[in-house]
Order: sequence, then C-alpha cells, then structure tokens
Amino acid sequence: MAQPLEKVDHRDAKLALAHLFVAFTALALGGFAGLLQTLVRSGKFELPSGISYYTILTTHGVLLGLVLTTFFIIGFQFAAVSRTTGALSDGSRRTGWIGFWLMTIGTAMSAFFILTGKASVLYTFYAPLQAHAGFYIGLALVVVGSWVSGFAMFAHYARWRKTHRGQASPLLAFMSVTNMVLWLVCSLGVAATVVFQLIPWSLGLTDRVNVLLSRTLFWYFGHPLVYFWLLPAYMVWYAVIPKVIGGKMFSDSLARLAFILFLLFSIPVGFHHQLLEPGISPFWKYVQVVLTFMVIIPSLMTAFAMFATFESYGRSQGATGWFGWLRKLPWSDARFFAPFVGMLFFIPAGTGGIINASHQLNQVVHNTIWVTGHFHLTVATTVVLTFFGASYWLIPHLTGRVMTKAMNRLAIIQTIVWAVGMTFMSGSMHVAGLLGAPRRSAFSTYGNSPQALEWIPYQIAQAVGGTILFIGIILILVIVINLAFFAPKGETEFPVAEAAAPYERAALALENWKLWIGLVVALILIAYTVPIIDIIQNAPPGSKGYKLW
Amino acid sequence: MAKLITAARQTKQEKEPALKGTLASVFLLGFFIIFSWVSVYFLFLHRL
Ligand code: HEM
Ligand SMILES: [Cu+2]
Repeated sequence: MAQPLEKVDHRDAKLALAHLFVAFTALALGGFAGLLQTLVRSGKFELPSGISYYTILTTHGVLLGLVLTTFFIIGFQFAAVSRTTGALSDGSRRTGWIGFWLMTIGTAMSAFFILTGKASVLYTFYAPLQAHAGFYIGLALVVVGSWVSGFAMFAHYARWRKTHRGQASPLLAFMSVTNMVLWLVCSLGVAATVVFQLIPWSLGLTDRVNVLLSRTLFWYFGHPLVYFWLLPAYMVWYAVIPKVIGGKMFSDSLARLAFILFLLFSIPVGFHHQLLEPGISPFWKYVQVVLTFMVIIPSLMTAFAMFATFESYGRSQGATGWFGWLRKLPWSDARFFAPFVGMLFFIPAGTGGIINASHQLNQVVHNTIWVTGHFHLTVATTVVLTFFGASYWLIPHLTGRVMTKAMNRLAIIQTIVWAVGMTFMSGSMHVAGLLGAPRRSAFSTYGNSPQALEWIPYQIAQAVGGTILFIGIILILVIVINLAFFAPKGETEFPVAEAAAPYERAALALENWKLWIGLVVALILIAYTVPIIDIIQNAPPGSKGYKLW
Repeated sequence: MAKLITAARQTKQEKEPALKGTLASVFLLGFFIIFSWVSVYFLFLHRL
C-alpha cells in the first residue's frame, strides 16, 4: 500500500482554514448572545433599547447550532480527506470554494435579517412564525453550498477508489463520505420545506402553509442533523485520539460498522421530536421510536471502543489492576484532554437522549429547559470540546505553526472552565426543566407565580454557569487566534491512528455504498410514506403567517 | 478469503488483551443509564 501523504496540501489547507475562520467568528458572536440569554433568564436583567430576547436567541441558535457546526465540519473533512487520500484535484478544490462562498453569502444574508429583527423565528423556524423571505433564501444557500462541497468530497473519494481498486479507503475518508451522505439525504427535507413551502409563503405567493408538514420535514432533517454534528467528533475519537495518546485504534472495522449504523438509523426517526404533536398517528410515532433506539447500538459500540483503546494502551505501558490504565493517559496534552472531557460529558448527554425519546418520559421534559440542558451537553460540550481539541493540532498543521507549552496549558484551563461552566448551566437547566420551567422564554418570574419562583435559584445558577462559559469562549478565541497568526513557525502533525490488527478485510465489504444507500432509502420510505400522505391528505386549511415579535 | 479469515483468527489468538477495566466501565455506564431512566420514569408515574 502506498504511504499516505503526511501533510494536507497547502492549497487545501487554505480552503479548510477559510471554513474554520467563519466557524470561530460564529462562536464569538453566538457565545456573546448566549451570555445575554442566561442573564435575561435569571430574571435580574433586561436587554437594552427594546432588543427582543427572541432576536438574540435566534442569533445564538443559528450561529452556533447551524453555522459554527457546518463550517467547522466541512473544513475539517476537507482537511481529513486531503490528508488521507491526497491533495484535491483543481476541479474538486474549486468546487469546494464555490461551496464555501455559497454558504458564506447565505449565512451573511440570514444573519442580516436576523439582526435587523426581521427573522426572530428561532433556529428551527417553525411555521406559522414567518420570517422575511431573505432569511429562508439565505438558509437555502447555506444548504446548497454544503451540497456543492459534499460533491467535491465524493468526486475526490471516487477518484481515489478508481486508482486503488481492491483496497479499503482510509478510515477518515470513509467516515467523511458517510457523514456527507447522511447530510445530503437529510437536508433534502429541510430544502423541500424551505423552497416549496416557506419561501413562496413568505413572499406572499401562497397564503397559507401546512404547518404539520413543514415541521415534519424539518425534523426529518433535524435529528440526523445532530448526527452530522456528532460523527466528526467520533472521527476524532476513533481515528485521531489513539495516535495522540501513542496507542492504536481498537478496531478499524468496528468503527466503520458503527458509522454505517448511524447512517441507517439516524434518519427515519424524526417523529421522536414530534411525540406530543397531534396529527401523527401513535403507530408511526412508535415505529420511529423503535428505530431511534437502534442508534443506542453504535453509540455503545463507540463507548466500548474508546474504553478498550484507552485500556489497551494503558496496559501496554504496564498498567495493572482494574483502572490503573487511567493513570497512563496523557492528561497534560490538550489534544487528548479536551476531547476526553467531551467523551465524559457524553455519558449524561446520551442518557438524556434516551429519556427524551421515550414517549412517556418525553411528556415530562417536552419543551422544558431540560431539553436545552440536554443539547448543551451533546453539541455544546461533547462535540464542541472535541472540535476545540482537534483545532489544537489542525490549525497549526494548516498554518505551519506549532502550539507552545503556554498555549497548551491555556487549552487545559479552557477545557476545565468549559466543564465547570457547563456543569452549572446544563445541570441547572436539567433540574429546572424537571420542575417544569419552559425553554425559549423571555419571562422568568411569570408575575411571581409560586411555581415560577421555584425555578429562579436554578436560573441564577444557570447565569453563573453561562458567565463562566463566556470566559471559556474568550479563552478558546485567544488560543485559536494565537495558533492561526502568532504561534511560532514549525511543523505540526496531523495525527492519524493505525488499527491494532492491520488487515481487516471486513473494511472492504463495508464500502458497499449501493447497499447502504438502498437501505437508507428503504428505511425512510417505511417510516415516512404513510404518515406523510396522511399529513397531506387530511390537512386542515393551513395557517397564515404570524410575526409575533 | 478463507486464508484471510484464518490469518485474522491467528492474530487474535496471539494477543487477546485483558480488558476487564473496559468491562467494568461499560457496566457502570449501563447502570447509570438505567438508573437515570428509571428516576425520570418514576417522576412521570408520580405526576400521572
Ligand atoms: C457561552 C456559552 C453558551 C451559553 C451561555 C449558552 C446559553 C444558552 C441559553 C441560555 C439557551 C436557551 C435559552 C432559552 O431557551 O430561552 C441556549 C440555547 C441554545 N444554544 Fe446555547 N449557550 C452557549 C453555547 C452554545 C454552543 C457552543 C452551542 C452549539 C454549538 C449552543 C447552541 C444552542 C442552541 C442550538 C440553542 C437553542 C436555541 C433555541 O431554542 O432556539 N449554545 N443557549
Ligand atoms: Cu433527535
């Protein structure tokens, strides 16, 4: 087998860096919005000069949930593909730049309408709340741009396979392609509701909108969206972290199988977000909840593989006893420490997800701030800390610099600050949610009703956590700016792990895209055809648009 | 193919690492999930 290239081609590095730049700009602005939210919700502060809480909340959700994640992921995957399967062709790279600009122009357009107060519809933009058409058109451009970039990756991967017949593709390339297939299939849903329902309706071409259909198409996209965020973090865990700690990947085929299972079972499950919606029959909710629970399998496979990687490494270093291997891990290396803390937080995060998806328990937590606590563990801690950990080698690798000891120490502090802040903020969100506190609410005291006053201590703890987190945002920005512009020049490794057993032929069998995409389509048709026909045929008259802010 | 499978078996038999810490960890993880789920379930029952 040909030795894989050690470095990302410098032209591809530019493309990846452009994406990371937008991602971290979104983090700065969105993080500031988050701070304001926690302060308002403590009941002790008000926003100045009539700025709406919901404008701020929309800014936060869109910038962090949609922009930070999508840009970081596409940039990271371009780098990963270039590193493991060689420099992009000029055509693929140009396509990647077209995708980048489409996404960036779309983001700027949506941001303009959000910040001018014409689109305070939150990042889920549920109808019948109606934003300015420019907001939806901007979002559509972001999605189309991401498709263009996805095709650039597919073309590059196809070219590699043609010149390497009979070989399994490098793990990171396989995983990037899986994630982009997932993204492409699921974002068709959000594109459909935006282009065929929301844009004509917001332009006044149609008067009314089928609310349930648009929410269903949104959640057909919305759940796989969270796996689109999570899978790149898993790429780092499976394919990078073993190398960072000096060990080997526990199993290459297990990693690939887990990714395929995520691809299959993360799409036909959107109803678990709509369990309390009338208009969808309980039977189809039940079917999708069962499919949702299938995702526990690859999740636990991943947990097992991580423990096994760490324990194997610790034992190879002479660890003894049940947990002696823990002491052998490189705790002072931020490239390991930040993602590791992310993994730890995924334990309560994933557990919360199982609770959310259980129909009865969903009635306890639905639309409470428990849900917000939940996804600040999943995306805003597990995923984000892993992305931070990856940035500590990816950015200097791409800019031809090295991370200094001082910056590494700051990165360790950043991780601890984030973990402490999130424990306060997310922990109190979980408890307040169980006590009934709603999410997405500018009100905190509800006219001093006794039940709402019960929530206030938690909402103050939430504000304390939010303030600590904001310090974390400042720290990560300092580190990122240092790594991009000021760190000493030098060579930084893009770590890629080797498998413990080198010739795993199962890997090749798992590269059967026709089969997987066929199964994905079949599962989607099973889970969605009948309920969507029902939603269209038995629809009420449809709703006019509302601008309640 | 058969040859490959035996080759894979052989490497496996050579060094099956002792992973009892992993076993304990996944059990603890499982108990945590069940405990949390049941706690919220009782909250649900309590509020019925
Ligand atoms: C300084 C750090 C952060 C703070 C203080 C913070 C705070 C908050 C608060 C208080 C809310 C909910 C308010 C409500 O429902 O009324 C919220 C919502 C949200 N946050 Fe954060 N957050 C932070 C970081 C993040 C990050 C890093 C992400 C994603 C990567 C994120 C994604 C979201 C999303 C998607 C929402 C939902 C918005 C909605 O319900 O429409 N947050 N955040
Ligand atoms: Cu979901």
